[in-house]
Amino acid sequence: MGLMAFMQSMGTNNFPLIAAFFIGLLTALSPCPLATNITAIAYISKKIDSGKKTLLTGLVYTLGRMFTYVLLASLIVYIGVNVQAISLFLQKYGERIIGPLLIIIGLIMLNIIKLPSLKSSDKINKIKEKLSEKGYLGAFLLGVIFALAFCPFSAVLFFGMLIPLALKFSDGILIPSVFALATGLPVIIFAFILTFSVSKIGKVMGKVQAFEKWMRYAIAFVFVIIGIYYTWKIWI
Amino acid sequence: MNKNYIYWGIGIIVVLLLIFIVPKYFTGNAIASSTISGDIAKIEVYHFHATRQCVTCKTVGSNAEATVNTYFANELKSGKLVFAHINIDLSENKAIVEKYGATGSSLMIGVYGKDGSFLKQEDTNVWYKIDKAESMSYLKEVIEQKFLGN
Repeated sequence: MGLMAFMQSMGTNNFPLIAAFFIGLLTALSPCPLATNITAIAYISKKIDSGKKTLLTGLVYTLGRMFTYVLLASLIVYIGVNVQAISLFLQKYGERIIGPLLIIIGLIMLNIIKLPSLKSSDKINKIKEKLSEKGYLGAFLLGVIFALAFCPFSAVLFFGMLIPLALKFSDGILIPSVFALATGLPVIIFAFILTFSVSKIGKVMGKVQAFEKWMRYAIAFVFVIIGIYYTWKIWI
Repeated sequence: MNKNYIYWGIGIIVVLLLIFIVPKYFTGNAIASSTISGDIAKIEVYHFHATRQCVTCKTVGSNAEATVNTYFANELKSGKLVFAHINIDLSENKAIVEKYGATGSSLMIGVYGKDGSFLKQEDTNVWYKIDKAESMSYLKEVIEQKFLGN
């Protein structure tokens, strides 16, 4: 049995959670989610010195994706929002925003663009610092936004296969959750490997800080390059 | 302590979801796949796509076109079968895009009964069949079955 035949038989499995998982795997391997996942991997590799945190950040990123997919599926299944309207809207705008957004994030990380310091109270700033230090909020938001970027093929998988499944079983929660888990799986696996391999190397070398600085630049470049890729593909 | 509560909370929510949702997977919801009763007047095979297409999207469209041209040339000529690539971004196609409810790239099959009934169906299996020969033999079978009223 070929790979696609196998994916088909699993993706159309009678038990919807198995089907959702394999549709999600196929999504993870399709061009757009692959690009966003690589970006996410770069992001979570930022703090490789803290092993457990890397893994958690990968999981939180996947939670962010889950949030978006569950929200979309619930709007359609429980509230009855028109599937076609949502799908066409996201395909039209989701992709267009993500390219420039990634470039901007990358440039901010490279300190080429400087964020104006907001004049908010110290308390809020402290909370912000804490959250961004841990990277969980960033990872979650990254997941939320990346999941909204639908390309033609990932839209087929989500709106053409997963949503009909969710509608059939009137389940707007578990089915999209399992789907989201599968789309974030490459990131989780990579975070897992990173946690147990690279972190050790970094510690042994005792050059974590220098390494981190380089990682930061490398990540920023990944953001900019993938941002350019998206922008070029859509706008030009 | 605090973290434990969070884990417990998440665990309880997951269990509740499983209890309330999973049984739905086994009971009912089996929407009887409706078919057109009586004779078939016309079948439409439409490949919907956006202006910017993915590689697989193009393949699905070209495979479908090859299938109808190869196996259903007579039906195409007589108008019993209609095939078209439809760009969902063009406003002139708005009516048909809404009629079929296309959510993006998709292969839709619409069946018209002689009694005036209409049944539309999206075929998502074609996305798994990128090999041309496999895709064509699959789609040929699907369209033949539609003509038989199945």
